[in-house]
Amino acid sequence: MNGKLYWKNKLPFILTNLFCMILMTLFLLACGNAVSVVEMILIVWVLILMVGMGIAYRNRKKELQKLLTMAEGLQERYLIQEVMRLPERADDQVYYQLMKMAGKSMLEQIGEVRRERLEYKEYIEQWIHEIKTPIAAMKLLCENHRMDFTRELLLELEKTNRFTEQALYYARSEHTEKDYAVREINLIDVVHQVIADNKYLLLHNKVSLEVAERMETVYSDEKWLRFILNQLVANAVQYRTEQPVLRFFAYQRQDQVILSVEDNGIGIPACDLPRIFEKGFTGQNGRIMQQATGIGLYLCRRLCDKLGVGIMAESSREGTVIRLSFHINCLICEV
Amino acid sequence: MTDYKIELLRVIYYDFPYCLCRRTGGGTETDMEQKLMIIEDEPLIRNELRTLLASNGYEVSAPEDLTGIVEQVKAEEPHLILLDIKLPHDSGFSVCAQIRVFSNAPIIFVTSCSTDMDELNSIMLGGDAFITKPYNTAILLARIASLLKRAYPAQGSEQLKYGGAVLHLDSGMIAYGEQKAELTKNELKILYYLFKNAGKICSRGDIVEFLWDNQLYVDDNALSVNINRIREKLAGIGLENFIKTRHRQGYTL
Repeated sequence: MNGKLYWKNKLPFILTNLFCMILMTLFLLACGNAVSVVEMILIVWVLILMVGMGIAYRNRKKELQKLLTMAEGLQERYLIQEVMRLPERADDQVYYQLMKMAGKSMLEQIGEVRRERLEYKEYIEQWIHEIKTPIAAMKLLCENHRMDFTRELLLELEKTNRFTEQALYYARSEHTEKDYAVREINLIDVVHQVIADNKYLLLHNKVSLEVAERMETVYSDEKWLRFILNQLVANAVQYRTEQPVLRFFAYQRQDQVILSVEDNGIGIPACDLPRIFEKGFTGQNGRIMQQATGIGLYLCRRLCDKLGVGIMAESSREGTVIRLSFHINCLICEV
Repeated sequence: MTDYKIELLRVIYYDFPYCLCRRTGGGTETDMEQKLMIIEDEPLIRNELRTLLASNGYEVSAPEDLTGIVEQVKAEEPHLILLDIKLPHDSGFSVCAQIRVFSNAPIIFVTSCSTDMDELNSIMLGGDAFITKPYNTAILLARIASLLKRAYPAQGSEQLKYGGAVLHLDSGMIAYGEQKAELTKNELKILYYLFKNAGKICSRGDIVEFLWDNQLYVDDNALSVNINRIREKLAGIGLENFIKTRHRQGYTL
């Protein structure tokens, strides 16, 4: 509470007192009282006034300070009117009422926005499921009627599918826990699936692949992992060099299984490296390529966090290595 | 319950020798005519799937009218069923449960809904696999083949024949007369593809794609190297000029 302003607000009260003192002094003197008696009365009056006002100021300050600290301690500050006591003073109660009204209307607004967002999200998810049927139909049409251009069409369909998947996972990434089945999966199966998903992209860009013969099994969600790897493969192809190579291998280190995806692409500048997982960050490479959205790796990080998978990037002029680390649950292994 | 037992007996006494006699039948065909059934309401996908599966050597039935689909399944007795979850009259799940009452044929769910709940449901109701749209045809075909193999195990080695040469798929050998040559994984798959498409021209792109579908990531240069090695091996067992090069088009047997 601003003390100066408080006393300024009290000025009319003090002036009223002063006015009363003058009137009483005049009255007492006119009645023939001695000056010393009048002085005595005035001193006592001023003293009582000062002490009274001082205590009132201190109590008020304490009370308001308590409210401030209470609000600061709250996670949702807008709920302060629910937590605080009904104030005793009449004017405070008006403010309290106003605050309640404001809070209520805000909650209503937020509720409406939330509902709209949820509806929109559901619509997006449904739309993505629906768009998959025509994509599947187009794919089948291309595979059954192979011509020169079908291979390119299939490449474009792969891209279409990747973008729709990205939208789906973006919509879902908030509530992963609702859609998530942790199972024992062999990393090699996931890698082969990811390569199959991107077959035309990889063939078109003449990427040579090196896939380890054997890989460890981990406990994770296959679908999500596949999405993450799809993004990594798409990135590796987008930022490729003349003779692109993509390596997949896995190894165990202490209590972790690491899946490593290596490319020999243009690499990521050291100054950009710490920020590549941020939303909307495109960096120097993004400026060259124009197509970067800054969403892919951000989503990867977000999904990894939800899955409890570590994701690290390392890069030099000779290429980029992305490592996914899975915790081995010793209990499951031992049983 | 009695239905179920009869079904089981049918599988053991009838299907088993049926698979056997078809499978060992010669020619370049190894796939017995196994009957698949597509239960899908989207006409375009249904037709294209039928084309795809038929061109891969399966007998396919794809009913257009899905009312009373369970009765149709009962009448046709397919070896494997591809089932969409979203159907106009009934959900795929309940169709699956109804089919399971009388049949043990593998059921693959094909769907665009990819939530784990659906996947769990499909497994609980007796589905054998779950593939999401837009399916990767290679993966779909591989799933179908492996499920059929598991459900109707065939005895005897698989082999392909063409022009006196015999390709043994299990042992990875090619034989011509008395002579035999061992093949690597890549070589076996390349020859398999050429044998399957005997008489047709196989473009390099198609061969590479086929290898990729079989998880062998061979590029264009490596394909040339492999073809040359196969030719050397074939020459070694007395098969000269078995694989012919068609300039700018590809290879043919």
